[in-house]
Amino acid sequence: MVAVTLALTAAVAAPSSAPEPALTRLLQHGPWPPAPARDPSNAVSGTPAAIALGQRLFFDPRLSANGAVACATCHVPARGWSDGRARAVGLAEGDRNTPTVLDVALHRWFSWDGRADSLWSQSLKPIVDPREMGASGAHVATLLRRDHALACLHEQAFGAAPPADPDRALVHTGKAIAAFLETVRSGRTPFDDFRDALARGDAAAAARYPAAARRGARLFVQSDCAVCHVGPAFTNGEFHDVGVPYALPGGGVDPGRARGITQVRADRFNLLGSWSDDASRASAVKTRHVEASHASFGQFRTPSLRNLALTAPYMHDGRYATLREAVRHYSELDMERIHTHGEQLLRPLKLSAAEVDDLVAFLESVTDRSAARMPASPPDVPGCPG
Amino acid sequence: MRRVRTAALLAAGAALVAAAGVAPAAAAPACEAPGFTPRSRVESAGVVVVYRTAPAAIEVGRHFQVEALVCAAGGAATLTGVDADMPAHRHGMNYRATVATKAPGRYVAEGLLFHMPGRWRLLFDVEHAGRRARLASDVVVD
Repeated sequence: MVAVTLALTAAVAAPSSAPEPALTRLLQHGPWPPAPARDPSNAVSGTPAAIALGQRLFFDPRLSANGAVACATCHVPARGWSDGRARAVGLAEGDRNTPTVLDVALHRWFSWDGRADSLWSQSLKPIVDPREMGASGAHVATLLRRDHALACLHEQAFGAAPPADPDRALVHTGKAIAAFLETVRSGRTPFDDFRDALARGDAAAAARYPAAARRGARLFVQSDCAVCHVGPAFTNGEFHDVGVPYALPGGGVDPGRARGITQVRADRFNLLGSWSDDASRASAVKTRHVEASHASFGQFRTPSLRNLALTAPYMHDGRYATLREAVRHYSELDMERIHTHGEQLLRPLKLSAAEVDDLVAFLESVTDRSAARMPASPPDVPGCPG
Repeated sequence: MRRVRTAALLAAGAALVAAAGVAPAAAAPACEAPGFTPRSRVESAGVVVVYRTAPAAIEVGRHFQVEALVCAAGGAATLTGVDADMPAHRHGMNYRATVATKAPGRYVAEGLLFHMPGRWRLLFDVEHAGRRARLASDVVVD
């Protein structure tokens, strides 16, 4: 930390024409985008027929019990693949903000509390959640078998007709939706152009980055935000208590990660179970070794900072309508509220109004505004209706 | 995720974190095994741990293994646990590593993950001659 402090001091004191050591620390946040990777626990990951099937299912409200709620009801492409609400509303209102599914394939754990250890097991959960889509494996099996187009795509994707077994139908649906979600990726941003210009020493290109965003980037580094918002996706994929109250409006509390660990261990669809296609079970190392502690209570997953400008409101309960409010949260952290358990990580940033503006400018620059759009129609699968 | 720098600590940065009645310092034994090339060494009070990680370069947010050889002056020593913490932040990992014995004195710990950049300590719990000791080895990931 001493070395870091010295480096930052040098950066602030350096003449404008000199290299900026603080900004070179931004290089860790790229390059972007990362190369797509297949999920070893999902045999249909990356396959065109599964992607096509998953895309259809994602937008199909017939997956829900009342035929009116689709995955896309909450994950609206035009709203950054979120819904713009503080709390999600499916068949009933939930307790948490809808997280975007942009770049979701990069996550280690899924949902705000990490209750799922794979994208496919997360994808099937809303279908059977009474407050989201309220359906069942049997309902899904019936839909897949009765709809000719879905049945055809299923056969192409999985090499067999849709199963009658409810669990298998549910898992296949989750794996197909996951295959589609792996394609929901955000592209390059003004920040990525700046970062790459720094990497190749192109001062002229770097100078095109707006001054406010540049000041905000320096603040981001100086404030050690990257301790948790690390790497190209600006997240360490783990869980933290950042002082957001966890009392629920209707009473009770949201235990966050503490319950998520319990749920993922008990989940019959987790990566340790028989539904994973990873015969080596190497992808289940996190599930085998994850550990709960007193600190897990009230922790929520560190969200990516990419595309924040598309995904208001913010925090796990959607309490902040604007990015400015979210930044102010870190400026005025309530240290009495945070259960630190002796941890020394967070401190109030005590930002001026101008500094808040600069940090917001930086965060907005890490947004690919073209990501808020409907995906192209999937390519036709030979032998199946278009 | 970023590649990181792992501090090479051969004979440097080693520390005994806590010991419960550790025997008086004795000459540190050589600690070698055929086909095992460690990258780091930590020793205290006659107990030596040499280890390497897989992958060799620890990355933030990626699980890794520790393969360790444990030796002690005047008798066998047993590795009973491997853990890690970040002293500056006063927290540990979100995962509990498991230790398996590959051969007498030779172990593999699985399930470790550093979820932040910075200075971590790998902590080796060793039993020797009925006593317990914790040896720490600094690792920097950035």
